Amino acid sequence: MSRLEAKKPSLCNSEPLTSELVRGTLSVLKGIVVSCYGPAGRLKQLHSGLGGCVCTTSQSSALLRNLSVSHPILKVLTTSVQNHVSCFSDCGLFTAILCCNLIENVQRTGLTPSIVIKLNNYLLSLCTNYLKSDTCGCRLPVDLSSTHIFLCLVHSVLTSKPACMLSKKEIDHISALILKAFLLTIPESTEDHVILGKTIIVPLKGQRVIDSTVLPGLLIEMPEVQLRRLLPVQKSSTLKVALFCVSLSGDFSDCGEGTVIVSSQVSLENAVLDQLLNLGRQLVSDHVDLVLCQKVIHPSFKQFLSAHHIIAIDRVGVTLMEPLSKVTGTTPIGSLGSICPTSYGSVKDLCPARFGSKSFFHLIPNEATVCSLLLCNRNDTAWEELKLTCQTALHVLQFTIKEPWVLLGGGCTETHLAAYIRHRVHNGTEDIVRGGECSQTELRLLAEAFCRALESVATSLEHDGGEILTDMKHGHFWSAPAHPPSVLNWPELLSRCGCGLHNSQEELSWSVLRSTCHPFAPQTCLPQAPVGSASNLTVDCWTAKLSGLRVAVETANLILDLSFVIEDRN
Amino acid sequence: MASRVINQRRHMGLQQLASFAETGRSFLGPLKASKFIMDVEHHESVLISSTLRLLGSLDLTSAVGQLLNEAVQAQNGTYRTGISTLLFLVGAWSSAVEECLHLGVPTAVIVSVMSEGLDSCIEALVSLQVPIHDISDHMNNTSTAYKETVDVSLCPFVQVPSDTGLVEKKHDFKDPEFQLVATYNLCGKLAKSPKFFKPWVKVETDKNLPHALKNSLHTDTYHRKSALTHSRYFHRTDNSHWVIKPDGFLECGTTSPQTSRCNDLAELAAGLSHGDHSSMTMAEAAVRLQWQNLCLQQASRTMPLVFDISRLLTYCLPGLPETFSCVCLGYITAVPESSFTLIKELQNQPVRVALIEGDLTENYRHLGFNKSTDIKTVLHSGKLPIKSSEELWTNHVLQVLIRFNVNLILVQGNVSEHLTEKCMHSKRLVIGSVNCNALQAFAEAARAVPVTYVTQVNEDCVGSGVSVTFWRSPQDVKDPIDRSNRMAILLKTERINLITAVLTSPVSAQMQTKEDRFWSCAYRLHHALKEKKVFLGGGAIEFLCLSHLQILAEQFLNKGNHVYSGWLPSNSSWLTSSLSIYRPTVLKCLASGWHKYLSAVMCNTASHSSALEASMFIQHHVQNANDSGSPSSYILNEYSKLSSGVFHPDISNNLEWVPRVYDNVIPKIEAWRRALDLVLLVLQTDSEIITGLVHTQMNSKKLNGVLFL
Repeated sequence: MSRLEAKKPSLCNSEPLTSELVRGTLSVLKGIVVSCYGPAGRLKQLHSGLGGCVCTTSQSSALLRNLSVSHPILKVLTTSVQNHVSCFSDCGLFTAILCCNLIENVQRTGLTPSIVIKLNNYLLSLCTNYLKSDTCGCRLPVDLSSTHIFLCLVHSVLTSKPACMLSKKEIDHISALILKAFLLTIPESTEDHVILGKTIIVPLKGQRVIDSTVLPGLLIEMPEVQLRRLLPVQKSSTLKVALFCVSLSGDFSDCGEGTVIVSSQVSLENAVLDQLLNLGRQLVSDHVDLVLCQKVIHPSFKQFLSAHHIIAIDRVGVTLMEPLSKVTGTTPIGSLGSICPTSYGSVKDLCPARFGSKSFFHLIPNEATVCSLLLCNRNDTAWEELKLTCQTALHVLQFTIKEPWVLLGGGCTETHLAAYIRHRVHNGTEDIVRGGECSQTELRLLAEAFCRALESVATSLEHDGGEILTDMKHGHFWSAPAHPPSVLNWPELLSRCGCGLHNSQEELSWSVLRSTCHPFAPQTCLPQAPVGSASNLTVDCWTAKLSGLRVAVETANLILDLSFVIEDRN
Repeated sequence: MASRVINQRRHMGLQQLASFAETGRSFLGPLKASKFIMDVEHHESVLISSTLRLLGSLDLTSAVGQLLNEAVQAQNGTYRTGISTLLFLVGAWSSAVEECLHLGVPTAVIVSVMSEGLDSCIEALVSLQVPIHDISDHMNNTSTAYKETVDVSLCPFVQVPSDTGLVEKKHDFKDPEFQLVATYNLCGKLAKSPKFFKPWVKVETDKNLPHALKNSLHTDTYHRKSALTHSRYFHRTDNSHWVIKPDGFLECGTTSPQTSRCNDLAELAAGLSHGDHSSMTMAEAAVRLQWQNLCLQQASRTMPLVFDISRLLTYCLPGLPETFSCVCLGYITAVPESSFTLIKELQNQPVRVALIEGDLTENYRHLGFNKSTDIKTVLHSGKLPIKSSEELWTNHVLQVLIRFNVNLILVQGNVSEHLTEKCMHSKRLVIGSVNCNALQAFAEAARAVPVTYVTQVNEDCVGSGVSVTFWRSPQDVKDPIDRSNRMAILLKTERINLITAVLTSPVSAQMQTKEDRFWSCAYRLHHALKEKKVFLGGGAIEFLCLSHLQILAEQFLNKGNHVYSGWLPSNSSWLTSSLSIYRPTVLKCLASGWHKYLSAVMCNTASHSSALEASMFIQHHVQNANDSGSPSSYILNEYSKLSSGVFHPDISNNLEWVPRVYDNVIPKIEAWRRALDLVLLVLQTDSEIITGLVHTQMNSKKLNGVLFL
């Protein structure tokens, strides 16, 4: 008997942004992301409330992955930030904070959504054009012949993630390792098309961070007992490799639908094993030295192989398959039938390696762009955070080699950009006004909201009640203690700007960022001398920040444009 | 999903940490008080005396509790020692950090100065490292010393069948190899190194002790070397210091103070025993036995001393007096009483062995083998099989064993009972649940290859020359069957690199504790020998940290900002310039952690009746150390005073006799690091985000301060 139930009518909320509840949850979310931002950001403990592992983090990727938000507006926001992070790894918090700030500030202006969106897009294009132009005052070119900027970049990424729990020495060590790992992924032969290799992060939890290391080639983890039992390599020349992606465990999991009926005299297991041994005979006659299998190899088959002096390594795992096939030049073999001779590849050498409590099989390829980063940290929480951070740093390096610029970090880009936009809008008529699409007042009003939003991102770097200043020459970010005693001794009170490019002894004048300051033209040309020197700069990835800016403005536009939320309650 | 702000005026996370840590206070120091953990619901209770077991019984489901548990497990998994230190310092530093917050120090400054302070202390501690060199040379002397006692005490107990050609041929009583068959027992060992493991009560009462030591100096070369370090006849004047010359002898000198080397295993073991002499004696005996065995195998006497802890196993025998504990070469395991006759027969012959890595049951398939469910077996001929498939399999296994003449099967996993029975009838012994390291040891020594299935067994896989004997404790003259109707047997081969420590305890509730303690001693020795260095322990390193931090803090106070550019993650922040204002405060708070640690140890050992008294003692010596200009040399020179002050105030009139206490280097440092890391991680956390929580799931009581998204 079936029963029909009347469908509930859908619920329709108009003007969702005006609701108290939405504003409240949006401000909670903003509070969370703002408090995470920067090197002094506060950490969050994410857990299910039922025991089990606790994730301590301040990274947007880990944070948003675990956040489950209820309201569609928040979902729009978190999803677009997550999309940005999945493509660019970095600048996720920047994007989220900027987006929240924009929504908040624009709402206060009281302008209609259509004009807001138009103006926001216009201001965004001003920003991106400026950041792409050669006169940009907050962009540094990257000298590919030196590691200085690269190291600064990695350093900046590492210091901005306090949950990694690294000391200064450890940050230096890990920075060097990441750079080394990155360099190992660049092919030596320079053709037109450079394809970067891959760095595989191998976990080694519980050890000291200083014990982390980078090795060319691949590490396959295996139990110590098994490692001891492996035959010593007899050949000095390269070893012939066969790589299987099919299970060699001797089972018959692929019978498809239905039931197979077997006579009691037939042993299916023996039949499959015979097939495996046939395969083994072919491997022997093809003079293969090393058999690698993604899944399990039947013990009897292993015994057969080792009797014929073939090294067999199983349970390599799916993550290593692609790099393995790349470094050895093999085509993964997917059937137990006969093997095409072209499927075989080769490796230069292999040797056992022991790190901490783990033992590995170290595969050294002839020439390849794959390396292994053995990453250690004291506990699981910090290790997970460090792993994410290293992946971000490696990703950011890849973007930087493609587009060799970096942006000044430590809040300087945001304040500089805000100063640039403010100055531009106040001095001279913009095309958009000339076209009659909006009035000069509307543009100024919204530009102020936009600049404030940018500046608020920079202010979010401060978590201990300090004051944020900006200088009237470069428009950089300066940090000062709260309630500075007197305005006169600022050069003594301040040390360096956020990115570290300028110091306070350069005869600058400052104003508090929150106060209404009259627009000034920030200096656009960069001093060349300090960039090349050993000074420790804080820099951000150009590509990631540009995308973050774009995503933040576009998401804010989308959210501001929402007029109805229709909820299906069935 | 909900989020809760945990960093209001008082930091909840830090308070939780401090309260968790308080429970482990009594496990600090050499005297550990046991605890009963009661389960009110089930009326069960367990006796525990280690921090690890304590944490296992606590409810650590809160986020901070989980992080604490994670840190402890990581320390335990990597080093197996330093857990009590870790837990205590987590608590002490949590309160210290809270104190800092109370004083208005910004979080970033606390994080930066504390980790910088710890780094600085660890660098300063290099001066208290004691290198371990050439222990192997001294081992030779000791091994000769061992032979005398070992021969006498053991021959009657090891059941060497007199009528077998094999064993007799190989183990001639004059053959040096036979010494290794011997079992070192506690009594013999204790008699040998009285000066290290003498109970403290005795020291006070026995006024003749110096004479005894003096005599031993003349009679026993082995004793002389180690005894010197503790002899009052090398009493030093204030500015003369003893150093050990390369030949191992002490010398008085006026050179700059230095930590002398530790060249003697007995001294090292005594120093690392941390009050648990009986467990350490066993661990030390295990190290000696393994090393001597290796030397014999390699036919060299100058091998460096290494200790492969993976080749050490324990076998627990509850119900026997503690003196029955001993260390044996080979593998000791329990078999059911019903195997008595089988073993009687097997022990007269060298046995061939097969090693099975998986289970030995019909249904067992190797890992990764997926059994298909869609397969039906049909009978063609219409005849029912005469035997069940289990019967067929058992027969097949037996055929293989008979073909290769295998009499002993060591299985890592479970064994089919039916098969065990069948094998027993055909004079074959099957032992299940064998440790994988033991399997590996037999593989190496008997030249066998472990296989997964019996069908894989071939001539190359079968090992030979294993001897099977009953095992009894050297003092045990009764029947070898214990109360649970199982008896212990000893399996070994000529070259086996495997040691079993038999642990006995009359109180079965203490068995677990005993085993834990043995392992922690073994691991301490293992780390010391691996690192080739130890710290001067007994509070010395903590004292140096205290005085180092005090000096640092004073330096910053006097010289102001420009002495030392501190490090903050963002070096442009205003906090960098305010670092100098807060640094002395934060360093003092960091020091307070060690101060509390020392005073807790002193209170636990009852060397000082009150925390205040302990605190005064610490303060006094730290001040003296700083006034002396060179804290590390002060600590070295006054070591006996300090260490006896920490542990045994009663012998303050007998200072020269204080033996040295050692600590592991990396495990200790890492425990500190982990403790501080955890505290700083929690400190920097401002909110707790509980995922997957719906409004209605939380009761109104808990809702306080919770925000929903």
